[in-house]
Amino acid sequence: MLRHYLTVTVRNLLKHKLIAGINLFGLTTGLTCCLLILAYILHETSYDRRVPEAERIYRVTRDFYNPDGAATLQLSAVAPVVGPLLKNDFPQIEKITRLLLFSPVVVRHADRILTEDSLMFSEPAFLDMFAVRMLSGDARTALSEPNSLILEQSAARKYFGDQDPMNQELKLDGRIACKVTGVYQGLPENSHLHPAVLVSFSTLNDSTVYGERNLRTSWSNNAFHTYLQLPAGYDARQLEAQFPAFLDRHQPQNKRATDYVRPSKMTALQLQRLTDVHLHSNRADELEPNGDVNRVYIFGIIALFVLLIACINYMNLSTARAALRAKEVGVRKVVGAQRSEIILQFLGESVLITAVATGLAVGCTVLALPWLSRLAGTALPPQLLWQPAVLLGLLVLPLVVGVVSGLYPALFMSSFQPQQILKGFTKISGGLAFRRVLVVVQFVVSIGLLVSTAVVGLQLRYLRQAPLGYDRAQIVTLAYPLPLRPQYEAFGQALQQQAGVQALARSSRIPTGRLLDASDAAAGIGDSLRPTSANVKYLGIDEGFLPTYGIKLAAGRNFDPKAFPTDTLGFILNATAVRMIGWKSPAEAVGQAFRYGGVLGRVLGVTQDYHFESLHQPIVPMVMFLSSATSRSSYNYVSVKLAGGNVAGSLQHLERTWKEFLPDEPFTYTFLDESYAKLYQAELRQTLLFSIFAGIAILIACLGLFGLSSFAITQRVKEIGIRKVLGASTSTIVMLLSSDFMKLVLVAALLAFPLSWYVMHRWLQDFAYRINMPWWVFPLAGLAAAGVALATIVSQTVSVARANPVKSLRTE
Amino acid sequence: MIKITNLEKTYRTEDVETTVLHELNLQVQEGEFVAVMGPSGCGKSTLLNILGLLDDPDAGSFVFDGKETVGYSERRRAELRKHAIGFVFQSFNLIDELTVYENVELPLVYTGVPAAERKQRVKEVLDKMRIMHRRNHYPQQLSGGQQQRVAVARAVVNRPRLILADEPTGNLDSSNGNEVMDLLSELNEQGTTIVMVTHSEHDARYSHRIVRMLDGQTVAENILT
Ligand SMILES: Nc1ncnc2c1ncn2[C@@H]1O[C@H](COP(=O)(O)OP(=O)(O)OP(=O)(O)O)[C@@H](O)[C@H]1O
Ligand SMILES: [Mg+2]
Repeated sequence: MLRHYLTVTVRNLLKHKLIAGINLFGLTTGLTCCLLILAYILHETSYDRRVPEAERIYRVTRDFYNPDGAATLQLSAVAPVVGPLLKNDFPQIEKITRLLLFSPVVVRHADRILTEDSLMFSEPAFLDMFAVRMLSGDARTALSEPNSLILEQSAARKYFGDQDPMNQELKLDGRIACKVTGVYQGLPENSHLHPAVLVSFSTLNDSTVYGERNLRTSWSNNAFHTYLQLPAGYDARQLEAQFPAFLDRHQPQNKRATDYVRPSKMTALQLQRLTDVHLHSNRADELEPNGDVNRVYIFGIIALFVLLIACINYMNLSTARAALRAKEVGVRKVVGAQRSEIILQFLGESVLITAVATGLAVGCTVLALPWLSRLAGTALPPQLLWQPAVLLGLLVLPLVVGVVSGLYPALFMSSFQPQQILKGFTKISGGLAFRRVLVVVQFVVSIGLLVSTAVVGLQLRYLRQAPLGYDRAQIVTLAYPLPLRPQYEAFGQALQQQAGVQALARSSRIPTGRLLDASDAAAGIGDSLRPTSANVKYLGIDEGFLPTYGIKLAAGRNFDPKAFPTDTLGFILNATAVRMIGWKSPAEAVGQAFRYGGVLGRVLGVTQDYHFESLHQPIVPMVMFLSSATSRSSYNYVSVKLAGGNVAGSLQHLERTWKEFLPDEPFTYTFLDESYAKLYQAELRQTLLFSIFAGIAILIACLGLFGLSSFAITQRVKEIGIRKVLGASTSTIVMLLSSDFMKLVLVAALLAFPLSWYVMHRWLQDFAYRINMPWWVFPLAGLAAAGVALATIVSQTVSVARANPVKSLRTE
Repeated sequence: MIKITNLEKTYRTEDVETTVLHELNLQVQEGEFVAVMGPSGCGKSTLLNILGLLDDPDAGSFVFDGKETVGYSERRRAELRKHAIGFVFQSFNLIDELTVYENVELPLVYTGVPAAERKQRVKEVLDKMRIMHRRNHYPQQLSGGQQQRVAVARAVVNRPRLILADEPTGNLDSSNGNEVMDLLSELNEQGTTIVMVTHSEHDARYSHRIVRMLDGQTVAENILT
């Protein structure tokens, strides 16, 4: 019986190669997309799950609130005091560890000077909680002593090559000498942090490094990533509920505040599951850029769409072909086949085809994964898919997809009445309505994907080209290391001797980064100095900053400390700050008293608004001031504006000058343009992948339409012949055949427009700066879909319509 | 073997009702060879479809082997059909994707005959129909006469007790037609009951009895000897 069905299936496929090919290609491509996306989703959801007790480990995070209760800052790390106090107050906490990122930092071994991007101070418990595997050294003791450190394998190679690193010395930041006490295997790729060097936490006790007192008392340096482990089955919310009381108990009152405000009104601690960090956390100062659960959903939905379209093709083409197999069904029934046997036969057929497609898809997936890894910017090894659940899924998949796509054709065909078919009723008109619905669904999805791709692309182009209020072209940023501080003037003069260097500036942060530092502000409005409720962020800049970045002043003047030494007490605000503080215009603000972080001075100038942060963030009120002994800010970066033209030459000059002034500091530079591009890299990648998968979906839908229309045309060859004999022209025949499909595309467009408008409207809400919904995209997507459909149909119709009618009539 | 009383059959389409069979009575004994004749459109094929349990009458009774079949489920009808009844059509109705051998094997597949026995029986009947040498050909590669011999082979391979033939020679020239008629007579002599619809007086003479129909009723019977 089985062999019998197999032969019939194979012969049927061979006889209708075009349709079989479209079905197989569509299912294979659809399943390949699904498997690729599955690999991506599995990877994204696998983060930190290899940690043995992952389910019991939590990260402590901290929020800050405005007086009105809105969260102003959400941090992924907390102050150093929090960890030990928690452990002390809550005995249910089994283990706790703190990490302090200390990077980028210059690390020196003998004459080798390198920059380390991922060096962390770590308590010994980290090794145990994150199951770090030691390759040499002892996990229990390696991080106990001050001034000891352990290296990740690749870091060990980087500093020591083939030498044994054990007991060798490394010097951090030119001052902290540490002994290597171990080498460990790097954390897996799907981990939310990848420390390359772990330095013993006790090293921080030294007051020249950080200081034991600070560790014990600081509530404000929220830079310590703190993880804790709870007992199995313990509800973390129970512990979280006790945090407000914990804060009120321990955190001292803000000295500058006039009235007593409970600390728990201004700040809060939370517990975040370790396994939620990668997909569900997007806080300031994350150790590494995280993923985004929405992206996982979006790709999951696309995968289902592609598969749906491929299944619809199968249903459509099989049902359309039913007429050709009507006689077979009739004869089978006459010789005694039960309806159930016929249903099983056709279901078996579609399961078989899906099984073949699944096999091919697995092969294609393995071949395409390296390509997807490159596009997605993450390693996606095929091993991701070799797990029992997925393999079982691969066995069940043909059954599910086969039954879903084969059920309708099977039910439809098995319902044929033999006495009618055998009498010569070859025109099977049933199923047509259903096929129309399916075609409409395919086009709704295709048009929706077209619209989304276009809107996403336009928004990204807008982000890349939006006026930022500053000029980022040809700006190179460098570190501002300690040894440069005393000789900066001379360094600047040496640089500017060359024509290639136009301007340079120092600042505490650089555009494309975040603005996270804030302090209390009070502004002179009328005669009184009133505290502002606006959360004003600060930026330390020197007098070169505004000209280097081409930032325009709306009122007042730039700093000029040489001419006016009191400018060290001056402030420059941005226009948003002026507006939020309550001054009517920038001009009105200039000259007014302003107090920030305890320093009282005057407003010297107001800049026009510029997008310091990415366009995901709204422009925040900001204040800029010179770094000086009295201010809390110090410079961390040097920005150099190069002239157009010989950029390579200017860079060489830059490096020569650097080496001359700073022989012990590594020369590393970044083009601001690159940092800027990085801000939108995730979206760019997402768009690219999105467009590719959307394109594949549309391609499969068009192939289906191609098969369907070619079939409709063969069915109507005789009708076309008769019409031609009666005098119809080629164009009227093309119209006749395509108008059917065009109506369906129209219906699909009308359904797709509101759906995709809604989805894209929601997506755009995520951007602080966004395009208006481009209405013209909708008709354009509709026209494109109609155009492709029309081209598909016309390409087949014309030859039939042009053919000599006598020929087509003779085929009967 | 067959006893039909007051059979009614009406086709309803959207706007017209056609009564095809009306108060039709017919009996066929075990081992008989009956020819049904009548003008085009009088309901011969409809009658045959009802006899073959492919179609349901609207009223009346159809007793097959002493059992009333009216009201049988689709399932039981298919069951009875595959064990007891074989069909031969004017237009052969072979499955194009199957070879001669596979077409003939088909009824045995559905009755669940084991493979070895299937092979034996298909070979036997193909030999008998003198078409064994063409067993691996596809229907399109055969002449009309050969195709009809395959169709007959398929109808008898299950050793049915009743063969229903609807104009089996309608698409054949006279020499091929005679060959098929000889085959049917031979089967009848070996004990198979046959009901055959035909327009040809020549073919009808192979039967024992001619039933003449007009407007959905039997109007005359000629007993031949
Ligand atoms: N499915 C149907 N729907 C409506 N009317 C039908 C249907 N099938 C048959 N008829 C009508 O029933 C009548 C009898 O048809 P039937 O096929 O039994 O005739 P017949 O005697 O076999 O004719 P012929 O000798 O031409 O084969 C005809 O008038 C036909 O139009
Ligand atoms: Mg007839």
